[in-house]
Amino acid sequence: MTVADTRASARHGLGDDALWTVLLLAALAAYAGTRASPYDLRVLALAGCQALLVLGYQFIFGHAGALSLAQGAFFGLGAYVTAILGARYHWGFAATFPLSILAPLALAAVVAVPLLRLASHYFALATLGLAQVALLLVVNAGDWTGGALGLTGVPGIVILGEAVPRGLPLAAAVWGIVALGAWLSWRVTHGITGTAYAVLRTDPLAAAATGLAQTRLRFSAFLLSAAYAGAAGALQAHTVGVVSSETLEFSVMVTCLAMTVIGGSTRIAGALLGALLLTYLPEWLRFLEGHALLAYGAALLAMIILAPEGIAGVLGRAFAGRRRAPDLPEPVPAPPQESRSATLEARSLSKRFGGVLALDRVDLVIEPGEILGLIGPNGSGKTTLANVISGLVPADDGVMRLGSTGLRGLSAEKIALAGIARGFQTPALPPSLSVLELVALARASAAGKIGFLSSLLGRDAGKGRRRFEAEALDLLGRVGISSEADRPCGTLPAALAWRVELARALALDPGIIILDEPAAGLGEREQAELGAALREIAGHGIALLVIEHNMPFLLPTAHRIVVLDQGRVIAKGRPAEVVRDPSVIAAYLGRESLPA
Amino acid sequence: MVTILQLALNGLALGAAYALVALGFVLVLNATGAVNFAQGDLVMAGGYAAAALAAALPLPGLALLPIVIGTMALLGLAVSALAYFPLMRRPATAVFVSTIAIGLVLQNAALGLFGPEPRTAPPVWDSEPLRWGALALSPQALAVIAIATVLVLGQAWLLARTRLGRNLRATAQDREMAAALGIPVNAMIALSFALAAALAGAAGALLANQFFVTPTAGGALILKAYIAVVIGGWGSLAGAAVGALLVGLFETVVAAAVSYTAASALLYAALLLILLLRPQGLFGEAAGRRA
Repeated sequence: MTVADTRASARHGLGDDALWTVLLLAALAAYAGTRASPYDLRVLALAGCQALLVLGYQFIFGHAGALSLAQGAFFGLGAYVTAILGARYHWGFAATFPLSILAPLALAAVVAVPLLRLASHYFALATLGLAQVALLLVVNAGDWTGGALGLTGVPGIVILGEAVPRGLPLAAAVWGIVALGAWLSWRVTHGITGTAYAVLRTDPLAAAATGLAQTRLRFSAFLLSAAYAGAAGALQAHTVGVVSSETLEFSVMVTCLAMTVIGGSTRIAGALLGALLLTYLPEWLRFLEGHALLAYGAALLAMIILAPEGIAGVLGRAFAGRRRAPDLPEPVPAPPQESRSATLEARSLSKRFGGVLALDRVDLVIEPGEILGLIGPNGSGKTTLANVISGLVPADDGVMRLGSTGLRGLSAEKIALAGIARGFQTPALPPSLSVLELVALARASAAGKIGFLSSLLGRDAGKGRRRFEAEALDLLGRVGISSEADRPCGTLPAALAWRVELARALALDPGIIILDEPAAGLGEREQAELGAALREIAGHGIALLVIEHNMPFLLPTAHRIVVLDQGRVIAKGRPAEVVRDPSVIAAYLGRESLPA
Repeated sequence: MVTILQLALNGLALGAAYALVALGFVLVLNATGAVNFAQGDLVMAGGYAAAALAAALPLPGLALLPIVIGTMALLGLAVSALAYFPLMRRPATAVFVSTIAIGLVLQNAALGLFGPEPRTAPPVWDSEPLRWGALALSPQALAVIAIATVLVLGQAWLLARTRLGRNLRATAQDREMAAALGIPVNAMIALSFALAAALAGAAGALLANQFFVTPTAGGALILKAYIAVVIGGWGSLAGAAVGALLVGLFETVVAAAVSYTAASALLYAALLLILLLRPQGLFGEAAGRRA
């Protein structure tokens, strides 16, 4: 994926996406109303069910970036709820449709709590196991489900008391619900929350540093995907009139996966294109009969290698490239938050990696407005200490408090939002996001305006987004980088990257900012600018913990210095005193000469 | 008592075949950090390769086995070239998807070539059951256990005692460091895929005699191999082999006592439970959230 592509997609491609979707839906309406035979209309309705299934799958696979293999099971569950309640108990659509959505939603909510903790293939195989259990249950609970033969006589859709007949009305009803689903999906993903998902799936470290509630975002994506799948299964049951265990077989799942990847896994138009294309392909190419899955497999492989952004992504890039980026808003200072200045206090922090004691009962106190330098030979535990304080690595023992807030056991994102912001030795900047997008994301994150509800209410889009962007621009001005607002983070040289990390940290309204070798790779003039920027920030009552090897930079900048050696604090005090401390000199001379 | 012994033998034979699948799984995962979702379908392909070769060549099952293993190793190289190397700089999910795609192609190619009817491969050891009092031991089951043992021990010897094995392990542990030491990292990764496919092919040829082979047989196998690996813990080949034997025994005994469905359902439920409670495996090192 090229930098230019995702930049376009994030900043204005989704506007294009809405346009493509509307055009596509209009073309389908024209086709259905004029040229389609009853058979065509049935195929169109089935394609609509698949489109809804894929729209849902985009949340967990496309946006959250987790390979769930349970989407087919949720689809089957929705279909069976409709079939059992409708065909056996003669319940009406008004009851069966909501229940067909609720049942997979409830199942997803129950399994999500443990499953979403699992990363990578653990999640994929656990969801596959879930799907297999569902299939076995349905085949073997024959009294209820009709076993392998399934259930027939599923009644049709009834809307507002009117039965919807097959043919055009049914296709229109299905696609009407697809359009509704597309609107909801657009609502949830076109604002800053959509950007949050992009960071979540590509750069977990950056997501933590931006204070994104990763578990909550994954949870809502998983639930949304299940709800859409249930609705799609119900509609398919109504369209076909029969539900059998085939709806739960793995082929349903892989077809959905192929549609999602081929159409485009994060664009709404991609869901529609993928579903239509793979539904119609066997219709157009009759020789594919019986071998459709072989073709899907080959196409899936080709797309994931050659065009992972899918057909919609390729189209979006081809057209979005010619559009001008929207004008930047006027910078607006962030509203003054209640002061986050508080003393960070760490007592007796210990951390062991296997047999190595990386931190040995470290005590550290940082007062508001203080610049504290953290030095020590390589491997002395400096970065481990920073990681423990920022929650990226759990401490084994000890106490951490910011003011009166206990920090032990909090997740990295919670600690970031609690007031401890973080910069990294290798900047953790998502390469495809623009500088402005990243810092606006951090503003929205600090304001708690990221997530399902906020996006549904539109607080992360439109005016809300403009406000966060305006505040972000103000922060970019403070660190002297407003001119680079539209530049993708991946193209920034070291001399600019530290400024962006600092702007993101400031965007979280921190009490403390931790920086890991910010001066590395900077020239003398840039070092001076960095020092001035740090002093300016400290002047506002924000404390800074700066890990650094570069003594000519650190000594005049820091108020106090703490020296770590082999995981222990061996000296602390004013810079001038610390560098003359015999134990410090010995620690450095043991391995290398004091870098001064 | 006699029944239990015979069940145990069958269970061990099944577990031994699962062990081959599970070892391939661990090999690729360690080398690439990605799961090969086509591993089950490679077993299926090995079964069909044995069945097709038996129809074409008038050779005993034991003589066909090396040919199957060699063919499957080549297929493994092809899988790495198509599904791994183009995606090695992308998130692991991309490789999951590409190997699922390969599995889909293999399944449906088998369906097109051989049809949906179950096929069977020749036994590796064709003789009357060995009788020992009331006990009748299936020679095929004994042969499966013996061959799987030889292959597993050979694998262990290769990894522990040879230069090639050291290079493979170094690549699995730290790819960049291995490359810096002059180890041809990409060749090692390709070799891991080839070995994994060869082991899967051997498992397929061995299983296809007793259990038949169908185009969709791979789906259940990948879960069972994964369960074996999860039980054993990701770091350890021995753990995976032990896990596979446990899965095979459990499946055979429960299938005989209750039903095959109950055995599968309980296994999948066990997988979910283990993932929830001890994602590092029952015996394994703490691999935690490693990808």
